[in-house]
Amino acid sequence: MNLKEWIFTTDHKRVGVLYLIGSIAAFAVAGIMALLMRAELSTIGPTITANPTQYNVWLYTHGAVMILGFQIPALTGFFANYCIPLMIGAKDVAFPRVNALSVWLFYVGVILALLTFFIPDPPDVMWTGYPPYSTITTGNTAMYSFTVLILGFASIIGGVNFLTTVAYMRAPGITLNKLNIFVWCTLAAFVLQLIFVPVLGTAVSLISMDKYLGTNFFDPTKGGDVLTYQNLFWFYSHPAVYVIFLPFIGVVYEIIAAHAKNMVFNYKMVVYGGVGGIVLLAGEVWVHHLYVSGMADWLRIGQMVTTLMISIPVGLMMIGLIGTLYKGSIAFTTPMLYALGVVFLFLIGGLTGIPLAVPSLTIGVSDTYYVVGHFHYVMAVAGTFAIFGGVYHWFPKMTGKMYNEFWGKLGFWITFVGVNIVFWIMMDVGVKGMPRRYYDYAHFPQFEGAHQWMTVGAAILAVGFTIAILNWILGAINGKPAGDNPWGSPSLEWTTVSPPPHGNWPSPPSVSEDWHPYGFKKG
Amino acid sequence: MAHDAHHAEAHGHAHWDTSIYPFIISFGILALAVAFSFKFVYHNSFAAILSMGIGFPLIIAGIAGWTSEAMGKGEGLSYGAMGWFILAEAMIFVSFFVSYWYTKLHVDVWPPAGNIELPRIMPLVMTFILVASSLTIHYAEHLLHLGNKGGFKTWYLITIVLGACFLGMSVYEWSHLIHQGFTISTNAFSTIFFSVTGLHGSHVVVGLAIFLAGLPSVLRGDVDEGFMRTAGLYWHFVDIIWFFVVSQVYYW
Repeated sequence: MNLKEWIFTTDHKRVGVLYLIGSIAAFAVAGIMALLMRAELSTIGPTITANPTQYNVWLYTHGAVMILGFQIPALTGFFANYCIPLMIGAKDVAFPRVNALSVWLFYVGVILALLTFFIPDPPDVMWTGYPPYSTITTGNTAMYSFTVLILGFASIIGGVNFLTTVAYMRAPGITLNKLNIFVWCTLAAFVLQLIFVPVLGTAVSLISMDKYLGTNFFDPTKGGDVLTYQNLFWFYSHPAVYVIFLPFIGVVYEIIAAHAKNMVFNYKMVVYGGVGGIVLLAGEVWVHHLYVSGMADWLRIGQMVTTLMISIPVGLMMIGLIGTLYKGSIAFTTPMLYALGVVFLFLIGGLTGIPLAVPSLTIGVSDTYYVVGHFHYVMAVAGTFAIFGGVYHWFPKMTGKMYNEFWGKLGFWITFVGVNIVFWIMMDVGVKGMPRRYYDYAHFPQFEGAHQWMTVGAAILAVGFTIAILNWILGAINGKPAGDNPWGSPSLEWTTVSPPPHGNWPSPPSVSEDWHPYGFKKG
Repeated sequence: MAHDAHHAEAHGHAHWDTSIYPFIISFGILALAVAFSFKFVYHNSFAAILSMGIGFPLIIAGIAGWTSEAMGKGEGLSYGAMGWFILAEAMIFVSFFVSYWYTKLHVDVWPPAGNIELPRIMPLVMTFILVASSLTIHYAEHLLHLGNKGGFKTWYLITIVLGACFLGMSVYEWSHLIHQGFTISTNAFSTIFFSVTGLHGSHVVVGLAIFLAGLPSVLRGDVDEGFMRTAGLYWHFVDIIWFFVVSQVYYW
């Protein structure tokens, strides 16, 4: 193997693998932060650190790295890079060098985020960076701003690249109604990135400008307004939920269709109703993060309505998944277990989100563990399960080898149990009044038992994820040969050799009139 | 489908494309981000200069290498991509304008204390120059399309000169205002004024940089028409944004 051809590669598959390695490393670091927090919270009072700021830094790193360093790069970096050109029958992306630039900017962003552990006065502003705290803290807010800016820029140029690729580089015969659901979902996510990431970039630039360059965006004594930041921030960060949701549900569609050997149920409903509906509504719901921040009533009511409305396209996508399972010949392989896990976890997360859309109910549970539990079900864990399932699903394509099915399933079940212990209890203590982000809960001694259960659950899920990652590494080294199309899928990425060579196909593929990515042979 | 036929071919020794420049540019950007922290957070100017001294050459070398490696070898897709990129760029300006409107319409007293009378004539002249440059680049492209390379070169150079004039007038305007005691820290309006005009100015710089990157090939006479169309599109975008900037911060 030629290391130079990997590091300086411009090939979309290798860029994708670089994304995967980086994002899994980020996942491990951010996961360790979560374990440290759980260890700290296992008893009342100081447990493993007596320094609350240390806890704050863990909290910052966990949130920022999980979202910006793991989920978004794994979904819009790894899966998009690896799968989209193969699924549309292209030999590479439109701008291979830009692609390489985006992966290395991603690494630079992650390096910047990890410098947190080595610099004096590390950033301690959560992943949200709200002023006025972020503009007066002694922590290094600039580090936060630049991490977000660099990762944001990486994803913008990635988005431009993929939208151009799918617009101009589809193989002959692949019409818009014959794109994989994953391609549709990821394109929609990139459109959202292009519209909303610049707003986040602006928001985080403004806090560093206020803090270091003497501007007055958020200083009320000079005519500025603090709430501007929260509006700009959530104007991106709510759509960011869909930037993560859309590709991960796309991955789940690919898995469920291939492992149930069934046509996607109501393809056009899923694409135009589900994906299209989410894109249309994504930018009109951000105020539900600001229900208790002093928004006008007309704005809160209006955005309550849009927030409830967005459950319609999301619901259409869930119906599509369930319908695809219906009368399919379901094989309970490891990827399928993860996909079914996503359906289950996402339903719990989705249903617990409905009360949060309604201001009168939210005010009671705002800033409690309920919100944290809901968020982890709906996005953090569901998204992570989809990523793990997706890696298993395309593992034979990437390596040409098969992972170990027994350890795969065992890893899934351990993680699944751990996740439900942690986050179900989290929602429960939240409703009972446990506030989030506390370093110590001496005022709530009644929750100590629940906190210890959550710590146990966190340890269990860490074991499950570790098994999965070890399974990939061992499978890549000495798995059994998998063949080119182990799942028997007609989707285009399975029609080339495993692993695909540079250029993907010896000669450009073309598809017949009656071909469809989900046209499984009935037998 | 059977794929045994191309199996043997695909598993043989394959050449994988590489480019070192994206890697170099990325780490140049890392050095600049670290330099900012050194200067403004840790107040260590020496380390900041050192870090910038690493970062800037890396970025410039990376861009230069990239340009010479890739110029003229594209597949003509950059025009479509630029449209998407402009969408993202426009959203940055939207964020600034919305913050401005939100702040302005939200507070009781506007403008906040410390404002001065902004010049009225200068922005009109600047508008005229920028619009003229947008027309000249359009005309240059038109001539290129007709095959008149000499005419193209002339109008291309005129566009660069007009862009540079605009930039010079911006600098003059800024220094004039700063001398009058109107700086970015004066109040919320001055913050908006300098950041929005500065943001637009930085886009003018980027536009000019794109033109300059294309200049060697223009002087040689082997112009990439796709590159010129893309550069022109960006320049029109910079021009259109200026209408919003000038109307919002000078005349409203």
